[in-house]
Amino acid sequence: MIAQEQKPMEEILGYLEGKQKVVVMGCGGCATFYRTGDTKAVNELAENLTKEGKDVFKIPLPFSIQACEIEKCGVFLEKNRKELENRDAVLVMSCGSGVQVVADYMDEKMGIAKSVIPANDAIGLVGGGPIHLKETCQSCGMCELGKTAGICPLTACGKGLMNGPCGGVREGNKCEIDETKDCAWVKIYERMEKLDELDKFTSIRDPHEWSKTKRPRLFEMEKPVKIDVAAGIGAMKGMMAVTFGPKPKLDE
Amino acid sequence: MGDEVYSDLMRELKEGEYVFTGELEPEKAGDVNEPIEMARELVGMVVACNVTDNPQSFAYVNSMAASYLIQKETGMECVYQLRCSDRNRMALLSDVLGAGALGLKNILALAGDHVSLGDTPDAKPVFDLDSTTLIKLIRSMVDDGKDLGGNEIHNPPKLHVGGAAAPGAAHLKAEVGKVKRKINAGVEYLQTQVVYYTDVLDKFFDELGKVDVPILVGIFPARTFGQADFFDKYVAGVDVPPDYLEAMRATKAIKDKEKKKEEVDRVNIEFFTGFLEHLKGTPAAGCHMMAVGYPRIIPPLKKLME
Repeated sequence: MIAQEQKPMEEILGYLEGKQKVVVMGCGGCATFYRTGDTKAVNELAENLTKEGKDVFKIPLPFSIQACEIEKCGVFLEKNRKELENRDAVLVMSCGSGVQVVADYMDEKMGIAKSVIPANDAIGLVGGGPIHLKETCQSCGMCELGKTAGICPLTACGKGLMNGPCGGVREGNKCEIDETKDCAWVKIYERMEKLDELDKFTSIRDPHEWSKTKRPRLFEMEKPVKIDVAAGIGAMKGMMAVTFGPKPKLDE
Repeated sequence: MGDEVYSDLMRELKEGEYVFTGELEPEKAGDVNEPIEMARELVGMVVACNVTDNPQSFAYVNSMAASYLIQKETGMECVYQLRCSDRNRMALLSDVLGAGALGLKNILALAGDHVSLGDTPDAKPVFDLDSTTLIKLIRSMVDDGKDLGGNEIHNPPKLHVGGAAAPGAAHLKAEVGKVKRKINAGVEYLQTQVVYYTDVLDKFFDELGKVDVPILVGIFPARTFGQADFFDKYVAGVDVPPDYLEAMRATKAIKDKEKKKEEVDRVNIEFFTGFLEHLKGTPAAGCHMMAVGYPRIIPPLKKLME
């Protein structure tokens, strides 16, 4: 999921300068997991903006209704058309994708041209949890994990080196850039050692194929993205498994 | 590795001479007058001088331009340091072609410090290639007249490529694995990061085993306490011995400039006497004296190696 944190109030207020009547919209996807777009977060931001003298209308999106998915969030935009028409700006508490999908839908499908402003900063595609999360993938379009014992050097190495480590490994095998982070290439070495694959360590990995990351990347589904009954039942089965299955070992 | 020799540095290394190299640092200035002056003093003392490329990610005069001007003005052969931090593979390729066209004969291929450590921390770090793939690119350009994509190069550049090694790296086995990878990529010589401890050097050579690539060991006789302190505090993988650091700190109190110079020289000569004596017994092919702005220390240190 995409981790995100709320922007400083000062920055948000800067974007809202001269804009009195605002909408605060949430996101029921990743932003809800990271508590930067759930109903509580929407209420808190709305309250803070009210204290700053803004006239706020809230559009919280329930759990699983993501701002970035038009089929779902479009329902809530359409439902609130009147408010959206009468407001000066829409503040979206989601990653940049949600912000842009909302702006695009309002412009193109609803004919409502308003400033659509990000309330959050997305900080990466992370994994792990429930407390400690780590950026693990940058969706580069050409996965290198098969060459590096399952640790992504483009993401986990501060320099994104395909052939590391660099000469700056710090005491305790920490990163040159940030001594709180592990050196990815030492991790790769240790994992290759465990897998008895150290011969792969000294082989030369070709430079990454950045041609696979021609932005913006477009992606087409064979069938439309759709929420159907089967998906709902699947989700319920998943929740049952999480509730009654063996418990994973979690960080303190 | 090709048999051709394009530079004096490579000629001395191939002939098995004990090699001494120096280091010049272009500054944040619109000229390279100071490194040119330093190079003039170093002529005859060292076979070649590295010209640093944005060291510690502080943005200074372009290293290729500085290398060219120093070489042209003083005749000092330059080792053009080239970092992957600031250039993508296209820019690196065109810089290597440019270096060849300007008559530069040696490149030291480096990954480079991360931009966040320097004076332009908001810059986008590049690292499109790493030191290994830059070495591979240069060898492919020089030996085969081709770039990484197989595109042909008309009149390929004639130059040599060196690489770095960090004997003091926290994880020596991973570091040595990387050094071996650079050797597989065709690096023609290696230069180590600064080393102060003989046991660090010995462990590195032991772990590396016998290799066919000549290795220059980096030493850093500091001109001031500040230089030594900076290395100790900010350069990863380099520990400056506390005794040496304290002796350098004590020189700060000397008011008379000449006496201070004499004492700094004495501290360096005293410390490096033992180190250089030890160095003679290692497989090192020479010594890279990273004495930036401190050319007067090189002759007495060289004398210790005789």
